[in-house]
Amino acid sequence: MRVNQLSWSEAASWTAVPADRRNADLVFLFGGRPALACGTRYHELRAMFPDAHILGCSTGGQIRNDDVTDEEIAAAAIAFDATRLRLACQPAPSPESSHSCGDAIGRALAAPDLAGIFVLSDGLNVNGSELVAGITGAVGDRVSVTGGLAGDGAEFRETLVSADFAPRKQMVAAVGFYGSAVRIGHGSAGGWDEFGPRRQITRSRGNVLFELDGGPALDLYERYLGDDAKGLPGSALLFPLRIFNCQRPDHDIVRTVLAVDHEARSMTFAGDVPEGWTAQLMRGNFDRLAAGAAKAARQAAEGIGQDRTGDQLAILVSCIGRRLLMGQHTLDELEAAGAEIGSQVPRLGFYSYGEISPHRASGVCELHNQTMTVTTIAEAVG
Amino acid sequence: MHKLLARQLGKAAKASGEVDLPTLLELVSAAYEQSDNDRRRTDRSISLMIGELDQLNRGLERLVEERTAALREGKAELRAQNLRFDAALSNMSQALLMFDSAARLVICNQRYIEMYGLSPELVRPGRTVRELLDARAKSGTFSDDPDRYIERLQTAIAQGKRLSFLSELPDGRTIAISIQPTADSGWVATHEDITERRQAEQQIAYMARHDSLTDLPNRMQFREQLARALAGVSRGERLAVLCLDLDSFKSVNDTLGHLVGDELLKAVANRLRACVRESDTAARVGGDEFAVVQTGIDTATDTATLARRICESLRAPYDLLGQTVVVDASIGIAIAPDDGTEPTELLKNADMALYGAKAHGRGTYRFFEPGMDARMKARRTLELALRAALANGEFELYYQPLVDLQTDAVTTCEALLRWQHPERGMVGPAEFIPVAEEIGLIVPLGEWVLKRACADAALWRDDVKVAVNLSPIQVMSKNLVAVVVGALASSGLPAHRLEIEITESVLLQNTELTLATLHRLRELGVKISMDDFGTGYSSLSYLRSFPFDKIKIDRCFISGLGDGDDARAIVQAIAGLARNLGIMTTAEGVETEQQLEQVRFLGCTEMQGYLFSPPRRVEDIRRLLRPRVVKRALIA
Repeated sequence: MRVNQLSWSEAASWTAVPADRRNADLVFLFGGRPALACGTRYHELRAMFPDAHILGCSTGGQIRNDDVTDEEIAAAAIAFDATRLRLACQPAPSPESSHSCGDAIGRALAAPDLAGIFVLSDGLNVNGSELVAGITGAVGDRVSVTGGLAGDGAEFRETLVSADFAPRKQMVAAVGFYGSAVRIGHGSAGGWDEFGPRRQITRSRGNVLFELDGGPALDLYERYLGDDAKGLPGSALLFPLRIFNCQRPDHDIVRTVLAVDHEARSMTFAGDVPEGWTAQLMRGNFDRLAAGAAKAARQAAEGIGQDRTGDQLAILVSCIGRRLLMGQHTLDELEAAGAEIGSQVPRLGFYSYGEISPHRASGVCELHNQTMTVTTIAEAVG
Repeated sequence: MHKLLARQLGKAAKASGEVDLPTLLELVSAAYEQSDNDRRRTDRSISLMIGELDQLNRGLERLVEERTAALREGKAELRAQNLRFDAALSNMSQALLMFDSAARLVICNQRYIEMYGLSPELVRPGRTVRELLDARAKSGTFSDDPDRYIERLQTAIAQGKRLSFLSELPDGRTIAISIQPTADSGWVATHEDITERRQAEQQIAYMARHDSLTDLPNRMQFREQLARALAGVSRGERLAVLCLDLDSFKSVNDTLGHLVGDELLKAVANRLRACVRESDTAARVGGDEFAVVQTGIDTATDTATLARRICESLRAPYDLLGQTVVVDASIGIAIAPDDGTEPTELLKNADMALYGAKAHGRGTYRFFEPGMDARMKARRTLELALRAALANGEFELYYQPLVDLQTDAVTTCEALLRWQHPERGMVGPAEFIPVAEEIGLIVPLGEWVLKRACADAALWRDDVKVAVNLSPIQVMSKNLVAVVVGALASSGLPAHRLEIEITESVLLQNTELTLATLHRLRELGVKISMDDFGTGYSSLSYLRSFPFDKIKIDRCFISGLGDGDDARAIVQAIAGLARNLGIMTTAEGVETEQQLEQVRFLGCTEMQGYLFSPPRRVEDIRRLLRPRVVKRALIA
């Protein structure tokens, strides 16, 4: 396997374009919505890599090795030696269709030698939990599903997905990796600290939360955010919500807010917030968030195994909430993850509206929020 | 250099390597602002959190207070409950113990300590059942093998089974013990002293089968014993059933009261008990009815011997509450298998024989004979007719004159009762008087006789007395004096013209009361004669016990005057004695001139008999008492 990273900027256009482009099988593409929306960058890449599948999305910042950038577009071209790929995409018109959407993608990719799936989804019109459940329902628990929800900076207006077509909103796309040679590792961790009292989810419907302990959930967030409340829904990411079924407190999930309804005093999350579960606010500390990222990277690096040959690629999908909180300290978590993966390994990725990875406790693929999720890809060719 | 500043310097570096100061300043300023924001956010969130937690804490404190109060209340309730429980435990009539799974005492009430006389220090929670048993053994309230006892107990508890048993203590008490396994593999034991209950049960069982007055087996047990004994008959043995009842018991009851009647029954029972062997059964089967099963007899003679022994034994006078009472018993006998092999049949036949004995005279026994049935029916018919006779006016008085041997004048007429039976014609007193006594008719009949005789005599010459016979039962009746006074008053007959004749048997029983009655009558002016003197138990001492006006010498001595010197000597002795005591003597049954001469010669003062006159109807007597008629009769 060979990996070539390239980038685009307003000033320099495409740089580090590899010479051998015809062997590339897959090109990842991550950029800000404004940069991708026109479709020009996609068409340029299409022209450069005519035989490769192109898969990408809009973001809340692109990750390239230890750096994060908003203006530049990050891309990587991958040439596999023995691994076959298949690309599948589905429109995602509404959160209610997420499960059937996931199911369709899963069925399109399902095959006995399917080794893993990397999925990129619209970040605003999707119930990520249902999407992942739809995919895993079709391909089974043994296939690792990783990826993330596209972002739109701190705007939360529109997210785009590109998959052998120019970036488009309300789309879900995924690439399947086939064959015995491919090695995929994954890791996911948050590093957020729980704080404040535990609260009961007293009213919710799907991924819409109405009440905590009998009072409007939005009231609680506005009270805690103070002046930051002006920045809702994005500023809600500063206080992620940890939820768990009190029967299984160790199987907890962190949810991130996608939208708020000031009239209904409700909040829409990227995944389900079941009634009767327990919820607790979280807050971040730079050092511990960075340690969380390092932990995710370590898990992914260990998961890939030792019998690989050629290059490997690490795809980092981290939550926009982490970046919003950490600001200039965001690089701390990228450096910490890079140190675990190894500086020689190319690292590509983006800040997202949701991360997809197997749960660290159950192994079941799920939507995560407020985490750093790392997927490592390599080949073992004999 | 701070990592962030280094990074900022890197970002602000131009291609030439120079630092772009405005960029750097913007980055540094942004970092400061972010840091401020972060601090403010942190402060705000922490202070909000503290507020929330404080509120929660206060809520929890309130909850703790409420719960503590509830707990305190619960504790008080628990204490009250415990007090009630203790009170209930200590007031239980049973001893109660609770043991844990290690066979150690958990709780025990005072009753247990008292029941077995144990030291309270010894019976403490934690003691093993073995230690308690040892303590009981020492106090003499446990004599079983403790190992076996515990083994039995543990087996039951292991099986979760309730165990109930009776423990007989060496001191005679009976304790009912119940062991109930508990859910925690221990057990609850209750000990109840049921000694009294058991004794009462035994007493009740005994009472159901015994007569409470005499303590003899009752009819129920008698029939059971008889049925058991009859099993021997099927093996070729013989047995006898004796039914006996007391002659004139009803009269004793009526005249002397139930207390004396009861005492009599007890005394009869004791004598009866003494007469029979241990293997025989004597029972009281009714009011004055007794029965005996005599087993293992060879011949009827064995039973006759027993019957005679019983009759003799029961006949001896009884001293009851200061009263002397004499009764006779009649006995009917049926022999198995000759007269039946079933209890009912044997009893019926013995009963029939008893009627036969009664009809035959008192104080005797009769064996069952085929045909008795018919005789018994006849006797029953007689009883029924007798009951009706008084109301139907079938009785009539005949009078037989007594004549002064000096003046040849009639001094007295003895009233003699006759029964004009509508079908059978005239029935003699010997036949119906015993029956009347038996069925309790003698008192009203005697009253009728007194009234009738007084009324008749009132119409006679005023120098002629009327003599009326009183049965012992009449004399014992408490209202005899009132009846006599009533008869005299209603007839207008002066008391001195009434002569009461009693037999010596009257003096045999209840002497004190009898003598008191006789004295009362005498005080009224009524004359008292000793009738049939010389028969039965006759004793001269009777003549000393009461100042009789007259002695009537029994006809057997008069009829015997011609046979030898014995009768003559007796008559002479009685007459002489009476003369010395100032008592008149009447020779009864004088039928010949020779007898008349003799009794006159031997010193009797009066005669009575067919020689002068048979008993006559009242009209004939009235005619006879006219002076001339008397004379003619005498001449005739």
